[in-house]
Amino acid sequence: MNIEKYFKIWKQLVSCAAGSYLSNRLESGGYFLGKLVRFGFFLLLIVSIFNYTNTMAGYSKYEVILFFLTFNLLDVLAQAFFRGIYMFQNDVKQGNFDYVLSKPVNPLFYSMSRITDIMDMIFLFPISGLIIFTVYKLPIDVGWENILGYAVFIGIGMVIVIAIHILAACVTIWSVENENTIWVYRDAMTVGRFPPEIFSVTVQAVFTFVIPIIVIVAFPTKTLLGLLSWQWMVFGAVYAILFFAVSLIIWKISLKKYSSASS
Amino acid sequence: MKKYWMVFRLSWARQFEYRFNFFFGRMRNIIVLLLLFYVWKSLTLRNGSFAGYSEIEIITYVFMVNILRAVIFGNQGITEITREINQGIFSKYLAMPVNYFWYNFFRQLAQRLISLISAIIEVVIFAIILKVDIFAQTNWVILLWFGVSVFLAICLYFVLSYLTNLLAFFSREAIGPKFLFDWILEFGSGAYFPLSILSRIFFIPLMFLPFAYLVYFPVEIYLGRVSFWQANIGICFQIFWILVAGLITRIVWKKGLRRYSGEGI
Repeated sequence: MNIEKYFKIWKQLVSCAAGSYLSNRLESGGYFLGKLVRFGFFLLLIVSIFNYTNTMAGYSKYEVILFFLTFNLLDVLAQAFFRGIYMFQNDVKQGNFDYVLSKPVNPLFYSMSRITDIMDMIFLFPISGLIIFTVYKLPIDVGWENILGYAVFIGIGMVIVIAIHILAACVTIWSVENENTIWVYRDAMTVGRFPPEIFSVTVQAVFTFVIPIIVIVAFPTKTLLGLLSWQWMVFGAVYAILFFAVSLIIWKISLKKYSSASS
Repeated sequence: MKKYWMVFRLSWARQFEYRFNFFFGRMRNIIVLLLLFYVWKSLTLRNGSFAGYSEIEIITYVFMVNILRAVIFGNQGITEITREINQGIFSKYLAMPVNYFWYNFFRQLAQRLISLISAIIEVVIFAIILKVDIFAQTNWVILLWFGVSVFLAICLYFVLSYLTNLLAFFSREAIGPKFLFDWILEFGSGAYFPLSILSRIFFIPLMFLPFAYLVYFPVEIYLGRVSFWQANIGICFQIFWILVAGLITRIVWKKGLRRYSGEGI
């Protein structure tokens, strides 16, 4: 893959997206404010909960807030850069995916990055600022190795998120009528808003091994808090690589299955 | 009435046409139910209560919300009205012998009923699997008042949602404001948590807005946490907001019709 070429394409797509957002100011403003309201209310919920208790599943207020902010960081990163997947069902249904296949560009790259959510890119700044503030307020000393580990696991989390987006695209090819797959992932991600210890062991196992939301969201946070053992770190890294590889294999099989029925 | 019954039947049939989609849609609700159940369960684990709610009350709150969301909000993300106005599809309704308001009410009613049945089944299955005790209200007066408040909540939500969709008459960008409205509604209605856990500075203003009377208020009646007089005052608030929203809807509808150009036909 020619990185320079793809960066140029991505830049062009971002420029188109920016133009679109600027020309639809009411709609963009509505979405942005809606996201702020959602973010603010959940933060308010966590703060309100801690008016009645000192700990939640053994975590202090700022530790729980860190889980919530990390969830937001990963969720917003995915939405900012891979928003195109939300249009994929429409493309397949209306046969527009044929045109994507005929372009001299990787169809997966194009389908995922054809829309960049500028609003979410802007939203990344306050989230990052709040993460720094929360880390400063934590009741423990956070070392540089923890911060580095956090950054690495955010990267690992993103690899799994990309893999899930690829799998959602595959499901769309196999079942054109279905438009909810990516939304199931989005709702599953909300599990990461709170520490995983609130769930039963069975639910934790499902969200670690089957739908790896805990690996995506809780592993970075726990690494920052110094609570993740090296065995789990290795597991997280290996799991992400395997999950990504499997998603690519399924994508290739799905592409062969694509029948262009709607075109 | 016969024509609206037909609208209801067609909408009902359409829901079953996209079964896979419907199944995934419900899966999304189950995940939210699971999350909220465990959040509140973990908080009541130590003392058996949290923020003035016993464990059984807060778990019943979560399960009741799942049912009420289905029947009151229906498919909340619904933007059919916005799309129809923006794409000029709305023009055909002007030539049809139907009232667009009632047409949409019955179109959405089928979807709400199917979601309600599904939500009840989900709650029962969940309660069995997780071995959860749910508070069963046996006082018939409370149940009657609960039924009235749910009916009024359905009407209130429909009018508010309809009004937001009518923004499409004035702008092709009505979906963004609808998204904002949906999230204010989600939280302001108590669909994620009982509003009373918020500090008074947030709780009191919320009780003067219409949203709190969509989910929080009916569930509080069901749990028997409001007195007879508080229930009456709440129902008066529901009626007041339906009238206010209905009046604004009527004005917006008339102005919107004047502006409508059938663009996109």
